[in-house]
Amino acid sequence: MDYFIEPVKSDCEDILSRFQRTESVRYEEFAAIWRKMDFPSIFYGKMAANEMRAFSRLILTTAYPYLLPPYNFQIRVGGLYLLYGLYYTQLVAPKEKITIALKDWENIMKFQQDAMNSRHYDVCYIFRKLISEKAFYFAAMPKHLYFHVKRKPKRQEVCEEFRDRPARVKELITTETLEEIMNVQEHYEKVKAAVSTTPGQPDPAVNLINKHLGPMVQSTVMEYQNWLDEVAVRKNESGDAAAAADPGEGTSTQGDSSRRAELLASIKSKSYGHLVEASKSRRHRQVELDTSGPEIKQESTRKTIPCLQTRTMKNLISKGKVKEEVMECTRHWRLSVTEQDKSLKRRVKKRFKY
Amino acid sequence: MAASSAAGCSTSSNANDDIPTYEYIDINTKPFHVATFENLWKQTLNPKYYSIRDVHQETDEEFAEDIGIPTGTVEELKVICNPDTLRCHPENQPPDTDVVPADPGLMTLRMRKRRQDYRETLIRAQTCRQDLYAAELENLAIGKKPVDPEDLLPEGEIILSVNVLFPVITERFKHFKARQNLQVLGSQKLTDLRDAICCLSDLQVCGEFSDTPDMAPEFISKDLFKSAFLFLEGIFYNDMRYPECKDLSQTVREWAESHDMPTFQTAKMEETTFRDLKLKVGYPYLYCHQGDCEHVVLITDIRLAHRDDCLDLKLYPLLTYKHRMISRRCAVCNLYISRWMTTNDSFAPTDPCLFCDICFRMLHYDPEGKKLGDFQAFPYVDPGAFN
Ligand SMILES: [Zn+2]
Ligand SMILES: [Zn+2]
Repeated sequence: MDYFIEPVKSDCEDILSRFQRTESVRYEEFAAIWRKMDFPSIFYGKMAANEMRAFSRLILTTAYPYLLPPYNFQIRVGGLYLLYGLYYTQLVAPKEKITIALKDWENIMKFQQDAMNSRHYDVCYIFRKLISEKAFYFAAMPKHLYFHVKRKPKRQEVCEEFRDRPARVKELITTETLEEIMNVQEHYEKVKAAVSTTPGQPDPAVNLINKHLGPMVQSTVMEYQNWLDEVAVRKNESGDAAAAADPGEGTSTQGDSSRRAELLASIKSKSYGHLVEASKSRRHRQVELDTSGPEIKQESTRKTIPCLQTRTMKNLISKGKVKEEVMECTRHWRLSVTEQDKSLKRRVKKRFKY
Repeated sequence: MAASSAAGCSTSSNANDDIPTYEYIDINTKPFHVATFENLWKQTLNPKYYSIRDVHQETDEEFAEDIGIPTGTVEELKVICNPDTLRCHPENQPPDTDVVPADPGLMTLRMRKRRQDYRETLIRAQTCRQDLYAAELENLAIGKKPVDPEDLLPEGEIILSVNVLFPVITERFKHFKARQNLQVLGSQKLTDLRDAICCLSDLQVCGEFSDTPDMAPEFISKDLFKSAFLFLEGIFYNDMRYPECKDLSQTVREWAESHDMPTFQTAKMEETTFRDLKLKVGYPYLYCHQGDCEHVVLITDIRLAHRDDCLDLKLYPLLTYKHRMISRRCAVCNLYISRWMTTNDSFAPTDPCLFCDICFRMLHYDPEGKKLGDFQAFPYVDPGAFN
């Protein structure tokens, strides 16, 4: 059944990108695209009963991630509509359920709250309808896990076009980096003062860097964020006349903006006064001024790890507890099988083949 | 500053330890405590959301009140969002859903068409029998209500899906992974699962019975060797229900101790419910019985019970999938499933040879039950015994 994952994913992304082009979150728009694509036919074709069920499960599982971050609000709305459509048009009875993982529930609740605040009542209505139809499984994970270790683990692909507004600037200028800049600046000033001809006073001739670099970067970032938000609001309003007058519209990317708000609040709360304390943490940083971001870490997951058996064996051998030849003799697993029986068994196999 | 961020980090990880997250994406989760996970769900959800008795459909008024909009608007929404809007054909002309539409735009359909066309070129169109049986099993249990209302599943029960793999005992097993899928309830004991695992080695009879064929059935391994353990997250859960049960894990633990490995704990299988466990979903664990018959056991999913689940308590652990084995038939009649295997048998065309009970007795014994000729006979348990 797994061979269907790729085409199903591509069909889901197709309908969602068409929906994205409407720049709307209205259900009517989605339903029109749905009908135009004849999306229910995705369930058509001759299949055995359990094959049909397995396919329903697969397609619901595949569509589920679009309901969650990192996708933007509009795509998540599309994701909800898509799940709704698939749930109602699937051909098995009773219907296969949409599995929600506990870790995602908070996100989904926030999403629903955003929709409510922005008065996207169709979104709320459809979500509530699914709930009241008991269309959900409340589970540990969004799918069954079978420890299917693949030789080449596939990277989790996120459809880039659907992503929430790229927040590269925000990722780059975090509280930590700002703090770092301020620390370095402070340190720089001290060094200048130390080498200066007038002790305690930096040499006015060495004045290459703006003294207020930290606050300056901060205000620039904030200004940029505000501008982005305004653009988003205007875009949403144009696509949605009904909610145009609503001041709460900006919260449609709540996840994002609340994170930003947190960031800004934390930046604000950290005046220079507080940062003096941080010199402790700076001391060790002086040695490793390498401010490599967390990105680097992801690289390590691509390393191939030997299987558990190999690792255990290696571990034991290196400890000298097990000799290498032991690996050979622990092969057969039934105590009852002796060497003699083994040869007998091989013969049995030959004769029994019909 | 540094201290506060560290503290923030640790509290968040503590509080969320029992929210399942991936250890390896799409492979398995980190360990979590099942009961805590269950409670976390129940704390956040309105009990109506997962109730198995509640048949109440939310009315427009309730929805309107909840959101704070006039009922008229809800009426409108109901029309706009009606599932009928998803229909792509006139109401009175339902399409043939067995047919993939011509020239489909959807990638999925193109692939399905390719596969179907290919299947039709095969001389023998194979409907997989495994699939048929699986569908049958699924349909048996779905939404099943108990006869006695006492046996109705309690509200908020959790269901764990368990996957039990079978060891490669015969050559044939090499080519596929024989498995058995079960659903167990959070309130059930580990021993309930153990009793539901049907493994051939439990039915095995040890010994040669050519002189006393009638005695054979009394020596089934299951009754003789009752010990077993489940090994989960560093703990051996031993079945100690009967006085003759032994702690099978002892050898392993002693070995581990003598090899500088961390010491393992033990617990009793019959005193532990699934709710009590701390485990990783999707992670292979071990079930061992009959001394050395080892099965890989995976918990593939844990979720709150649903209205459409089998609601009869008594039917759990519920079998949801079982690999069907091909049976070996009698060498004489080729009709009945074999029960005996003989060696050094001058009556037999092969060595060893399989017989059903009737043919075996007719061929090897006179009407008085006296053994004819010289041969050894061993009771044979067919892999299809549990089909
Ligand atoms: Zn077994
Ligand atoms: Zn026969």
